[in-house]
Amino acid sequence: MRNSLTYLFLGSFLNIFILQAQEKFTINGSITDQQSNETLIDVNIIVPELNTGATTNEYGFYSLTLPKGTYKIVISYLGYKNLIENIDLNNNLTKDFQLSEALENLDEVVITENVEKLNISNPQMSVNSLTAKTIKQLPVVLGEADVIKAITLLPGVSNAGESSSGFNVRGGAADQNLILLDEATIYNSSHLFGLFSVFNPDAIKDLKLFKGGIPSRYGGRVSSVLDIYQKEGNSNKFQANGGIGVVASRLLVEGPIKKEKGSFLLGGRSSYAHLFLPLFDNDNIAYFYDLNTKLSYKLNSKNNIYLSGYFGRDVFSIGDTFENTYGNAVLNFRWNHLFSEKLFSNLSLIYSDYYYGLNLGFVEFNWNSGIQNFNVKYDFKHYLNNKLKLFYGLNSIYYKFNPGKIEPSSETSGINLFKLTDKYAFENAFYFDVEQQINQNIELSYGLRFSSFLRLGQNELNTYENNQPVIFNEDLQIYESAEANGVNTYKRGHVIKTFQNLEPRFSIAYQLNNQSSVKASYNRMSQYLHLLSNTSSPTPLDVWAPSGKYIKPQLLNQIAIGYFKNFDNDTYSLELESFYKSIKNRIDYIDGADLIANNAIEQVILNGKARAYGLELLLRKNQGKLKGWLAYTLSKSEQQTAGRTPNELGINNGNWYFTPYDKTHDISITGNYKLSNKWELNSNFLFQTGQPTTFPVGQYQYNGITIANFSNRNANRLPAYHRLDVSLNYTPKPDKKQGYQSYWVFSVYNLYNRKNASSITFRENRNTGNNEAIRLSIFGVIPSISYNFKF
Amino acid sequence: MKKLFLIFSLIIVTTGCEDVIDVDVPSENPRLVIDASINWFKGTTGAEQEIKLSLTAPYFEDSVSPATGAQIQIENSSNQVFIFNEDSNTGIYKNNGFIPVINETYILTINYQGEIFTGSETFKSVSSINFVEQNDNGGFSGNETELKAYYTDPADEENYYFFEFISDIPVIPTLEVYKDEFTNGNQIFGFYTEEELTTGDQVVIRNYGISIEFYNFMFVLLQQNSEEGGGPFETQPATVRGNCINQTNSENYPLGYFRLSQVDEFLYTVQ
Repeated sequence: MRNSLTYLFLGSFLNIFILQAQEKFTINGSITDQQSNETLIDVNIIVPELNTGATTNEYGFYSLTLPKGTYKIVISYLGYKNLIENIDLNNNLTKDFQLSEALENLDEVVITENVEKLNISNPQMSVNSLTAKTIKQLPVVLGEADVIKAITLLPGVSNAGESSSGFNVRGGAADQNLILLDEATIYNSSHLFGLFSVFNPDAIKDLKLFKGGIPSRYGGRVSSVLDIYQKEGNSNKFQANGGIGVVASRLLVEGPIKKEKGSFLLGGRSSYAHLFLPLFDNDNIAYFYDLNTKLSYKLNSKNNIYLSGYFGRDVFSIGDTFENTYGNAVLNFRWNHLFSEKLFSNLSLIYSDYYYGLNLGFVEFNWNSGIQNFNVKYDFKHYLNNKLKLFYGLNSIYYKFNPGKIEPSSETSGINLFKLTDKYAFENAFYFDVEQQINQNIELSYGLRFSSFLRLGQNELNTYENNQPVIFNEDLQIYESAEANGVNTYKRGHVIKTFQNLEPRFSIAYQLNNQSSVKASYNRMSQYLHLLSNTSSPTPLDVWAPSGKYIKPQLLNQIAIGYFKNFDNDTYSLELESFYKSIKNRIDYIDGADLIANNAIEQVILNGKARAYGLELLLRKNQGKLKGWLAYTLSKSEQQTAGRTPNELGINNGNWYFTPYDKTHDISITGNYKLSNKWELNSNFLFQTGQPTTFPVGQYQYNGITIANFSNRNANRLPAYHRLDVSLNYTPKPDKKQGYQSYWVFSVYNLYNRKNASSITFRENRNTGNNEAIRLSIFGVIPSISYNFKF
Repeated sequence: MKKLFLIFSLIIVTTGCEDVIDVDVPSENPRLVIDASINWFKGTTGAEQEIKLSLTAPYFEDSVSPATGAQIQIENSSNQVFIFNEDSNTGIYKNNGFIPVINETYILTINYQGEIFTGSETFKSVSSINFVEQNDNGGFSGNETELKAYYTDPADEENYYFFEFISDIPVIPTLEVYKDEFTNGNQIFGFYTEEELTTGDQVVIRNYGISIEFYNFMFVLLQQNSEEGGGPFETQPATVRGNCINQTNSENYPLGYFRLSQVDEFLYTVQ
């Protein structure tokens, strides 16, 4: 008896010992599309019996650490067939997987098996992912698929009007979005005043929009991150994709450089001017073109290198009087290196540039301005075990800002050469981020980003009495620019001003049950660059300015909470989020500020603060013949620029006023319906509260003309904005999946021709002398056709 | 020069469409408007001057009311006072013995309904218009009649200009302001386009010398009110205050401006 007890005791003791000492091994590798070898992002790799798993990162890499043993692994990804494999894990193992696209059947039921459970347990909240396929299904202006128009259909995202470039996230300004294309910063996201985005949907693999809960590996802008990854190119065989449309055409060619090892991607788009502007019987030209290039090469199982480039230009000219050219250019080299089966790294060396040029023939001058940056990023993703992941790295950017150079374009010109002073800066960050699974129900993500900004030496920095570039004239009760009392010139290596900020980030997900969870997040962000624009939405003429002696960095605190639920066997999903953000150091301009060619912008700005809060609802139907979503945002975005002393008026008398992009209600409904194998119907409906604007409170006569007298800023509203778009996709041979494939898109933008007000201006009619309110609307009903092909 | 950048708005206007619509606008209590423009035309004595006082009105009303019964005077630095007398109840106040002196500082004092309004400005000189160049294939569409009124900017000082173009095609004058920041010392022009000008039409072109304060005031006023400054590129409009204040009650501030300018007038007949 005693012996057997001892044995039992010893036996169980040994067992525990053995269990604890049980070896763990790591399985790692890449997951790619079988047909093209494109790496796939956010693929789920699940081990059902251990209730654990992993996802692939932005480069298609995964790392999973399990105790020694034999397991069934399920790999699943939206749009692809599930892959089930048995793995015998008795050593560290490198295993790559290839997934094949799921053939769409009308009766198909997708088996999801624990897939959605992982998504709702991930503490990442306030993020929306879109694949290129979804973007192409949404009807947009002139039949061209558009990334920016697509994200504005999501809750919390809108734009400041039809002709505006840029977008607004959760009541934030358009310059507060970090837009990344393969890790390189893009400064202007639109072509042709917001008509098209700069992103060619054929070249895109995946995109993610972070509206809040931003992980510490991102920084530099306070409101959002739009992270876009391009495809590498098919490394198995040549492939071309293209489309011919009413306004623009595109062609993308991809193929192997060395089969299965190296690939290239080359894509171009261009628009045809003369169909765009109404004809004036003269040579008006407006067109854009862009070029996406990428070379990818797998050196060996531990090293991949990529070289990507983007070049885009908009050209706008009217006869010989006026020509305007602007656009982004990016060149970026990246090296993925696996230090071990658990440590993945990416080194990026990036050059990015935004150029703006203007030639006014009849006044005979050229204007050039731009921003250039050189960026080094080194990011490490450390997959310690399935419950703990560590992300850390550093990021360093060197900027050169050219606010403008004006030069006469001929000898007879009346314009003098004038150069606004170049500015230089250095922005650095170091971050770490932890993703940790505490127990079955709780996952945490927390991190810290330490950022610093050094404003470097330049010529001719003004000095002012009392360091006040703006003075308040108490007699006239207006703000005026102060005269500089001196000018300093600094050597480039000298640091004029340093800013340092600690940016903690935190999010938590609590799983209520298999289908639903609650999440909360907090983040603090800092932004050192400001887009100076005194119009309500950015124009290409706007200038990026660095923080420095007279401009402080913007600092934001955002908290968000949300409830997430999948129901009816994952057919539907619901995301409900509420957010609050407050921003310090939001600049606004004194009344009558003129930023164009202003070499001393500190003389026309005042420091203030901003806040935004709201509720977002996203209800999606993910499966079936009818798919789509309903997005509703209820929010408020306002700012306050108080006087610096109690005697000063501030802007709008120091009271809170709506930001130009505040939209109380924002509803987007989008649907995709498969009528048959050949026909697919897509439709969008949008409804938004009109934007804030300022109406006159009276009129008076001065110097023979009628003047409108305005009072409180942004106290009135434009009429509500709403429109309906539809498009019909026709695939003549839907069963053909090889060789030459094509489909037609017939679309109508703004089906019921609503004349949405882009602005309302008040004018004295020059022929009658009467006062009028004039509504400017940009797009009426626009039908279009495009023919798309692939081979 | 900067105004030319506002030309962008014309471009967007051409791609969109403009409609006159009905809109409800708010209103506030009437405010005093001081249109005190002392203009000394070259080749005259500049002795006859007038000042207009009126009140603001709701935006869509057909007309504004004059501000009558005020006492107006202008005083120069040698304490010479010029009294302006109202012409019956028109709100127009006149003086026949004004003495304009370049670079002299003048103070305007108005007593209206028991409140005292004051403003101060300097008399500014102006360069003459040398000649006018006409281009029948000008403007943005290439088929407008374009006039460039050339003058020479003095290189040794900071100058600001206010141009007025009056023809009988639009019922209101076309106003522009320029500064010499990018054109200092050069021969430069005031710019005017009008599609419907035909041979034989008369255009009155005036170049007023102005101060930097008036330039800033008028620049914003025109941005908010003229045909070219508008559309999606419009800056946030706000109350544009001039250089006059209400000494008695600062909340009841006046609008308008007290300006003193030398003026060169050029009568041009369209070829």
